[in-house]
Amino acid sequence: MAAVPSAAADVGVTDMTASARKNERSVTATLAAATCALLGTTAVTPVDAREEPKWDFNTSLLYYGEDEGRVMDASFKSIIRRLFADDRSLTLGLTVDALTGATPSGAIRQDGPQSFTRPSGSSAYTERAGELPLDDTFKDTRVALTAGWQQPAGEMGLLSVGLSASKEYDYLHTGVNASYAHDFNNRNTTVSAGFAFASDSIEPVGGAPAPFTSMLDVGDTSNRAGDQDKDVLDVVFGVSQVLSKNLLVQVNYSLSQSDGYLNNPYKVLSVVDGITGDTLPRTPGINGGPSGEFLFESRPDERTQHSLYTQAKYFMNGKVLDASYRYMTDDWEIDSHTLDVRYRWPLGETRYIEPHLRYYTQTEAEFYRLSIDDSAPLPQFASADYRLGNFDAITAGVKYGWKTRNDNDMSIRVEWYTQSGTVPTQQLIGNQVLRDNYPDLNALIVQFSYRFSR
Amino acid sequence: MATARPGRQVRLVAAEQGWAGRFQAMGSPCEVLVDGGSKANAAALTALVSAEAWRIEDKFSRYLDGNIIHSINTAAGKPVEVDTETGNLLDFAATLFEISDGRFDISSGVLRAVWTFDGSDRIPSQEAIDAVLDRVGWQRAAWSGGCLTLEPGMEIDLGGIGKEYAVDRCTSLAGDASAIPAMINFGGDLAVTGPPRSRSAWKVGIEGPAADSADRLVKLRQGALATSGDARRFLLRDGVRYSHILDPTTGWPIPDAPSSVTVAADTCTQAGMMSTLAMLKGPDAESFLAAQELLSWCRR
Repeated sequence: MAAVPSAAADVGVTDMTASARKNERSVTATLAAATCALLGTTAVTPVDAREEPKWDFNTSLLYYGEDEGRVMDASFKSIIRRLFADDRSLTLGLTVDALTGATPSGAIRQDGPQSFTRPSGSSAYTERAGELPLDDTFKDTRVALTAGWQQPAGEMGLLSVGLSASKEYDYLHTGVNASYAHDFNNRNTTVSAGFAFASDSIEPVGGAPAPFTSMLDVGDTSNRAGDQDKDVLDVVFGVSQVLSKNLLVQVNYSLSQSDGYLNNPYKVLSVVDGITGDTLPRTPGINGGPSGEFLFESRPDERTQHSLYTQAKYFMNGKVLDASYRYMTDDWEIDSHTLDVRYRWPLGETRYIEPHLRYYTQTEAEFYRLSIDDSAPLPQFASADYRLGNFDAITAGVKYGWKTRNDNDMSIRVEWYTQSGTVPTQQLIGNQVLRDNYPDLNALIVQFSYRFSR
Repeated sequence: MATARPGRQVRLVAAEQGWAGRFQAMGSPCEVLVDGGSKANAAALTALVSAEAWRIEDKFSRYLDGNIIHSINTAAGKPVEVDTETGNLLDFAATLFEISDGRFDISSGVLRAVWTFDGSDRIPSQEAIDAVLDRVGWQRAAWSGGCLTLEPGMEIDLGGIGKEYAVDRCTSLAGDASAIPAMINFGGDLAVTGPPRSRSAWKVGIEGPAADSADRLVKLRQGALATSGDARRFLLRDGVRYSHILDPTTGWPIPDAPSSVTVAADTCTQAGMMSTLAMLKGPDAESFLAAQELLSWCRR
């Protein structure tokens, strides 16, 4: 016989390797059949085993950008979880936010240009005629750290305790939290209770202005006080119940009590003429200053919020429908409703797509004012912060997730957020009726997440 | 009769979430973990399991006289008729011999006469190996019609199958006897009758994939785990490490065998055989295991 051409020899080798591989796979089937014969069984329940990872790393990068040059946030978040024997775990989290952009100051639009003293008190800036006044000095880096410990407490209990701290240029947060969850009824019912206490201190740029004092000329710090603080206590009670193998429902009640300095030290209200609704003019000082009368806002130093949250998760063949509703009410007279729906749709074994829709609506705070009427007595409290106004918001987006070759999880989420509000008509004075008073907001959110365990 | 041997006793203690019945069998510490229920139920299960384990030990141990293995190994070339259970085990051994290309061989035990794995450098001579190799090889055995005939000097040893078989037999008996979930663990080869009620899964610690890596935690709800290999049994000479897994086709240790392999499978027998087959693959243990698509840990 002639020598075998090398190409054919290669094919031969490849075939042998492939058949060897096939043989290795058939070992499982042969062994299974031989074992059934040995043990005299016909049906065997398949193995259900999985390795408990020791480390879990969850990292995400988030971009949040408001249109028209308003706030932009680039955020990095990393959560590391270390699992120990007996279901104990330690979780450490780090978040770094870089915030830039401009945010509405609370002053109303005017037909002419307006000038303002910056929060630092060291310079002034001008807003063009007809434009919504934005404080363009919004720039901050926030670093937040969290640490949590979780462990079983008795046979049916789970105890969690945690610490949190975050630091921004003008803000320091420190907090503690703890919760306990207890399973009943063959672990089909879980009852939980928890609390979180935060002690925050606010060190506004240039000092905290006294409420209802005027915005002063550049260099004049006579209305500035020192640092401020506030405490927030949150208490949560919850019940979750497995109703069937497809349906899980949860109900939570939470109470939040805030005490202390609850103002935003950078927000002002325009003082307007009782007939025209235009801002009272003022002559800026020699080094610059406000061109009108603006008062720093004044909020109550207490706030009590109650919220009721219900969630249902419905599992059907790998698909998951997750719907929740939250009702919140507080003694500032803000009532809000949030409806949130997600639907996870698997695409094959390793991929999924998850559309998300959220609707939010709130009524304005009792002391929300577009402006201060110069001809009327000064109210006890007032704020023109658009976030305390009457508004609706919709978040719509989609998340796409996949498993990598090494079984790690990746996902990308893209969402649009749109917020629009109205100022109650009885608050509009004179020329204000013709202006666009509520600063609408549109934002784009893009998040990339990566998770791996080992 | 089985329980009458000296040293055969069971101890029942309260465990974290139920009861633990302990006894010694087949050279290993054995444990029956019962997930709750009454003490009487746990005692009954432990009695049932220990009796079955000792029955299997008595029947198939090569160290005992008067059992079927002793009869076979001392038949001096004459055929021995075996009972159904022994026949099933021999059929199973024959299948393993085939799928392992002759490396899983219940007649290879006589090689232990020349190989002692005590961490020393005492490597036997090729002449000594060749001398015992003449008495090794399942292909020389005549096994048919319930009759086994070995060549004179040959011996069989079901030690490579017996413990896993015992775990599966005991798990099946315990599952039939009580609805309370239990885990049957014979020296690290184990199986469960079902998922526990008091927690999400049975938790089993195993050695990590590398010799210096930390122990791993496996959550088992159904099925079995078994480990082959022993990192402490080896020979070392001229920088070459000889594992205690012998290749009956050469009489020498399998080169580059992992120090241990743990496999999760439907039954303890499957898990144990798959881990042994992986050990016999030597350097290809990992790729062999990967092709089986089983949860496994290979430790080198």
